[in-house]
Amino acid sequence: MDASNVSINTKSSGAFKRQAFKDQITGILFTLPALLIILIFGIFPIGYSIYMSLFNWQVTKGAFIGDKNYLLIFGSWWNLLVLVAGIALFVLGFYVWNKAFQSIKNGHRLAHIIGALVLILGGVIFVTGWGMMYETGNKDFLNSLIVTVYYALGTVPAEIILGLVLAYILYQDIIGKEAFRIIYFLPYITPSISTAVVFQIIFSSRETSLANRLIGLFGADPLKWRFEPKPVLNLLGLDVSGLAGGPSLALLTIILYGIWSFVGYNTVIFLSGLGNIPKEIYEAAEIDGGSKWDRFWHITVPMISPVTFYLTLIGFIGTFKAFNHIYVMRTTSAQNTVVTTSLLVFDRFYKANQYGVATAQAIVLFAIILGLTLAQNKIMGERVFYG
Amino acid sequence: MDNTAAINTTKVKKKSSPLSHFFGRAILYLILLVGAVIFIFPFFWMISNSLMSLGETITRQLLPKVPQWINYKEAWEQANFSKYFVNSVLVTLGTLAGLLLTSILAGYAFGRIDFKGKNFLFGIFLATMMIPESVTLIPNYLLIRGTIIPLPGGTWINTYWALTVPFMANAFSIFLLRQFFAQIPKELWDAARIDGCDHMRFLIQVVMPISKAPIMTVLLFGFTASWNAFQWPLLVTTRDTWRPLMVGLYGFVQEAGPYTHWLMAGAVITIIPILVVYFLTQKQFTQGIATTGLKG
Repeated sequence: MDASNVSINTKSSGAFKRQAFKDQITGILFTLPALLIILIFGIFPIGYSIYMSLFNWQVTKGAFIGDKNYLLIFGSWWNLLVLVAGIALFVLGFYVWNKAFQSIKNGHRLAHIIGALVLILGGVIFVTGWGMMYETGNKDFLNSLIVTVYYALGTVPAEIILGLVLAYILYQDIIGKEAFRIIYFLPYITPSISTAVVFQIIFSSRETSLANRLIGLFGADPLKWRFEPKPVLNLLGLDVSGLAGGPSLALLTIILYGIWSFVGYNTVIFLSGLGNIPKEIYEAAEIDGGSKWDRFWHITVPMISPVTFYLTLIGFIGTFKAFNHIYVMRTTSAQNTVVTTSLLVFDRFYKANQYGVATAQAIVLFAIILGLTLAQNKIMGERVFYG
Repeated sequence: MDNTAAINTTKVKKKSSPLSHFFGRAILYLILLVGAVIFIFPFFWMISNSLMSLGETITRQLLPKVPQWINYKEAWEQANFSKYFVNSVLVTLGTLAGLLLTSILAGYAFGRIDFKGKNFLFGIFLATMMIPESVTLIPNYLLIRGTIIPLPGGTWINTYWALTVPFMANAFSIFLLRQFFAQIPKELWDAARIDGCDHMRFLIQVVMPISKAPIMTVLLFGFTASWNAFQWPLLVTTRDTWRPLMVGLYGFVQEAGPYTHWLMAGAVITIIPILVVYFLTQKQFTQGIATTGLKG
């Protein structure tokens, strides 16, 4: 009490100014060590990457070549423009569908019709742009983007759903809740190199490998797993091939590893999110006679949506960054079906020594991550229910 | 079933029949148990294979007939783990010391001191969490190689510094500590200031002793990040001098190929320190994750 009175009394005096000056100095001094390291190893490299990407840089700096490294990726800027225009139209269509013509009568239907048309147009232009880029641009890079998208779509939704289900169950009065949580979290903290090695062995192409013996129980023939470049759909009997036919079996095993290692993280975060939902809401719903399922669907899911949003964002960024386990689990016979963009960049740099090309690719990857983050913020952020 | 019953009886009496209740619980436990088995199985497989003879790993028994403890000794020697293990321990300790210093100071400044440019700096720090390693990796490699600016000693490739210095600060730890420090009541600081306390003394004598939990969380995250690091060490170590355990294990995987029992013994060795630390502190660990994950 006394203390706060004194500090109020001194507010306008010289002592206060001295303190403010001291605070300024101390604040800067305290942040300085962290600032130095983050500036040098976290922020400076972005600028330097952009700089490097403008040169013919192979181990040592070569001639200035401007946008050549980027042209290698896109084929031409025109291709990129068409692609981006397609995305922009797509976003516009989305907006029209939801927001436009609200004021006039039957506005919704009109908005949906026009929105759908713009969406389709955007989609068509996007696909055209992609096709043009695929013709003249860097196929390895574009393929790696497809692989990354497969990997992201294969892991993130599954991780979210499983994480939420497990957390929701654990949130009931469960005996041994702590033990379950410890177990679920285990794969997340253990070194990915060590656990990926086990997955290597479980999913080896031997007839006696664990995965093959397991599917053998259902009468299936042994598969090549990590070594199989064919799309999963092809193995299921559909007539597809190549990257356009969906993720390869090799990628699927990596996706399984990804899910296995990350679900526990989501579970823990969801669990603490569930704890923040006021109990009264459930009690009210119970009196109103909602079933457990109703309560989950109409209370838990909307109330937990900020957490879901956060985890989706973290998950997508994570898949675009993912490296260690993919690097360990990949095989040469799986060819390019498991090479995500972060692996491709590393290979360009570490194995091919093409620093300029690699940095240009990394910058494009970064731009994509930024774009995705913004889009997710916009699209999902609006739908999230912040209680 | 539950559904219709609940809707029909709008009165408060809504307990479902004990039998369906029992089945409901049983299904929940079943899901949890299946989940637990899936999560734990690879670890079981790792340990069980690490104790098998080579023949047993090929015929894929579930358990070894006689546990071959010698596998661990052999793997340890084959993979040159003594050197790597010491390297990993030293690198982790060094990184943690630096990380603790920078993040406590910065966390305190951001949480408790008013100074110009604070929000701007904090925003920049947070933004770095989104940057993929692919972007920073190559310039950082050139930095460490001494190509961009001259470094003491010429190059830091194959040195202790390359593995520790870049990781001695991160936005995540600063953020975590800031959140906690900012919640400490202002009255404490006012009282301390009357007694002639400056920020440094207040931090050491008052703030740190009551912030053991978040500091512990930073330590644990730092520990796992440093211990599990792979991509960067792979890049900046070309000889055994400072090569850490994960890069050693990866090299061993490339060499040992079909010798599954040794590989698995090696894998077990690398995760034991993490397991020990995790089991000793798992409560703080998961709590720490939860509080940082839910940034209000």
